[in-house]
Amino acid sequence: MDQSHIRNFSIIAHIDHGKSTLADRILQLTGAVSERDMQAQMLDSMDLERERGITIKAQAVRVLYTADDGETYQLNLIDTPGHVDFAYEVSRSLAACEGALLVVDASQGIEAQTLANAYLAIEGDLELVPVLNKIDLPAADPELHSRALSDLIGDDPENVLRISAKTGVGVKEVLEAVVTRMPPPRGILDAPARALVFDSVYDQYRGVVAFVRVVDGELKARTTLRAMATGSNFDAEEIGVMSPVMTPIGHLSAGESGYIVTGLKSLNELRVGDTITLAQAPATEALPGYREVKPMVFCGLFPVDSDEYPDLRDALEKLSLNDASLVWEPETSQALGFGFRCGFLGLLHMDIIRERLEREYDLDLITTTPNVEYQVTTTAGVVTEVRSPVDLPSPNHIEQIEEPYVRCTMLVPQDGVGAVMGLCQERRGQFVTMTPIENRQQVVYDMPLAEIVLDFYDQLKSRTRGYASLDYEMIDGRVSPLVKLDILLAGEPVDALSMIVHRDSAYARGKGLVDRLKETIPRQMFEVPVQAAIGGKIIARETVKAKRKDVLAKCYGGDISRKRKLLEKQKEGKKRMKHVGNVEVPQEAFLAVLQLDGDSQ
Amino acid sequence: MTGGDPAGVAHLYVHLPFCASRCGYCAFVVEVGREDARDAYLDALIAELHREAHVVGPFETVYLGGGTPSLMGAERLARLLAEIGPLLAPGAEVSMEANPETVTEDLLAALAEGGVTRLSLGVQSSHTPLLGILDRRATPDDAVRAVELARASGIPMLSVDFILAVPGQSPADLAADLEWIAAAGADHVSWYELEFKEGSAIARGDMVPADEDLAADLYLQAVEGLEGLGYRWYELANFARAGAECRHSLAYWGARDYLGIGVGAVSTIGDERRRNAPGLDRYMAALDAGDTPPRTRETLDADTRRRERWMLGTRVDDDFDTAWAGPPDHPAALARMQAQGLLETGPGTVRLTRRGRLLQNAVMQQLMDFA
Repeated sequence: MDQSHIRNFSIIAHIDHGKSTLADRILQLTGAVSERDMQAQMLDSMDLERERGITIKAQAVRVLYTADDGETYQLNLIDTPGHVDFAYEVSRSLAACEGALLVVDASQGIEAQTLANAYLAIEGDLELVPVLNKIDLPAADPELHSRALSDLIGDDPENVLRISAKTGVGVKEVLEAVVTRMPPPRGILDAPARALVFDSVYDQYRGVVAFVRVVDGELKARTTLRAMATGSNFDAEEIGVMSPVMTPIGHLSAGESGYIVTGLKSLNELRVGDTITLAQAPATEALPGYREVKPMVFCGLFPVDSDEYPDLRDALEKLSLNDASLVWEPETSQALGFGFRCGFLGLLHMDIIRERLEREYDLDLITTTPNVEYQVTTTAGVVTEVRSPVDLPSPNHIEQIEEPYVRCTMLVPQDGVGAVMGLCQERRGQFVTMTPIENRQQVVYDMPLAEIVLDFYDQLKSRTRGYASLDYEMIDGRVSPLVKLDILLAGEPVDALSMIVHRDSAYARGKGLVDRLKETIPRQMFEVPVQAAIGGKIIARETVKAKRKDVLAKCYGGDISRKRKLLEKQKEGKKRMKHVGNVEVPQEAFLAVLQLDGDSQ
Repeated sequence: MTGGDPAGVAHLYVHLPFCASRCGYCAFVVEVGREDARDAYLDALIAELHREAHVVGPFETVYLGGGTPSLMGAERLARLLAEIGPLLAPGAEVSMEANPETVTEDLLAALAEGGVTRLSLGVQSSHTPLLGILDRRATPDDAVRAVELARASGIPMLSVDFILAVPGQSPADLAADLEWIAAAGADHVSWYELEFKEGSAIARGDMVPADEDLAADLYLQAVEGLEGLGYRWYELANFARAGAECRHSLAYWGARDYLGIGVGAVSTIGDERRRNAPGLDRYMAALDAGDTPPRTRETLDADTRRRERWMLGTRVDDDFDTAWAGPPDHPAALARMQAQGLLETGPGTVRLTRRGRLLQNAVMQQLMDFA
């Protein structure tokens, strides 16, 4: 189709602000799906996503829309992931578009991630169409939020569309705005082909399927293509569009979006952000913006039952097929046995993977304290990357430790500002700016990533009764006085409980941790000292007292089987314990490190 | 000692389930408000006893438990005892449980006449508020009166049951219980910890079990107090003056065969354990129709029997014969626990230390793979 009749656009929206519902309405209104075939929220294909109300994997759907001007347009709706951890994927999806719908809940207003993504879109020169959704809700305040939206993008409040994706009110106007306000693509048809990979998935039968936006030239099925960054060559087994199911059409030309079945066996051979060109007549220059996504957060995953180690490996292999950003390598812990050290894009990513492992693969896992990647310079002048507290050199060999910093942007209701700033200060935040956005404040802090990987988000929510929202982006690494905090049980250090903390909070963390461990570890046949130590120095100590007494129940003729079964049940419970030296440690003890409440309040 | 006793089962338990009300800590098979069924129940019991005539030998011990056996009334108990009498071995021990408020001179006279040698009074506490928490109907005065009547009745042995670690119980409360026991001059004391058993009212309510340390302190206070009064701590929760040990209970702890009759009663004979089903009407109807009462059966394999012998036998303060019981699953744990002061070993014997007796479950878990 000629480019003047093509629009590529995304929907930028916060979780639950109605992106999926609006997308569904668009599919219905353009006849791409009938009412009857409509499975609620068509675009979210994984159960877990639907349950959490988030979209992990972006896809592109093509619909044909006959506008009020009587012309028929090809609209490519490019979905974007809805979470902070997937910022790079979002940026690539936006790079595939000329415009975006900025959808905001008329009762809730703009949230931090929407703001972050809107800035990304503005930087990318996208035409933004502001949309207030859920105007049918009694709590909707369209006047207030229209002003905020138009301020944000420098538009007239009159241009803010007011819709209800749920009832369908205003959806037609949204499509008209896509056609009239957003510019068409301006690719060069006869230039060497260049297509941006904005998403890729692995299909067990067809290999890697790439979702692409063709910028220049044309891609045809059954030709040999090349991914410019990874250098992979592959045959385009099939080229087509999602409408909304996979529909082969044989070719995609400048301005269009669609999919390519590559037959590649690994997502590592074709990464998001890469440029696809023709192997025979390659473009000289790749599209800008490619970078390799690096994991930011690391933790150890260990099976509760050590027999499940091979199952955990299989599950990680399978998940990796469809998630190039998940990295893992074997790790051995004295306390927890064989497991894997895994790297994630962020906290949500970690949660999702852990939950999928437990739910889809039926594994029982122990997760160790998440940590970030540190750049450690030794006294010998060698710089190493440390992803696990266990790998930290001894203090006398450390010259300096650099830790990653992020810029946190939080949108906070006025009455929550004090609480949020208090939280940021406690977590070593450095204040950057505060700007009012209508009835809220945009608070910006630079913070060590390590301080937000634990429970920062939960704390932020709980201190603002759920109203604050958060976005963060990497800024740099900074040298900090960090130390390794070790936990000793009965005098033995427990590797799985070690963590890297700021020197000034080491005492409070250590104290809080030994207190919680004392509560979590059941009394044993002997006294168990629980100690926190830095280097060789003990900074906190508690004692799990020796067990003194079992229940002295009567045991007569009628009680014998019951008593025996009680012992059997106890035995079953003991099997789920981990043995650290002679000490039996329940799994919950390893979770104790994740709960910081009380240390910091 | 494997298989059934060739001479016949020497120990009989008779379950008399009737109660005036259910106590808060109780999870036994009891019947409240069914006094009208007592005659029919007695018929059924006797019928069940007759059905088992082929396995029973002369009974060395008999135990009438409940429920509240004394609620059966003097006449019915006399009839039951008359049925049992001819089955007794010379010098047999015949025990009966009674709640203090149900004890009368007539009742005791009938029991003495019928051959009861041992009366076990469910006193539970000498402190009225704690009796209230336990939902007991008797007052401390009832208990004193019951002891006096028992002493006058000619029944030779008197045992009292107490409960400790009742929520709110203080060391002073327990000291008062000890004084009460000394004054009553009981021959035997059973002193259990309050258990929050699944199915009891107390486990469903808001009360929480006493803290482990407090319960341990109370237990040691009871042990030392009773030892000071001349009782021997002969089993984890039982104390006796010389020669006053409960022979019936010792049979359980010695993993001997026993026959239990009555609704909900359990028998262990050879490698079979069977449990009569609860449900008074079903029980009576089956026996009335000349059938076996409804019951479930459990086969005890060699490993289970070996583990149960350890579980039961080490409760008793005596040299436990490891050759008779069979080896523990983890023999190396014996030396380790000896070093920890939990048990002592001799040639072919094991005996728990005082500390080990408070931790018998934990000791068992180290020695055995209960599974």
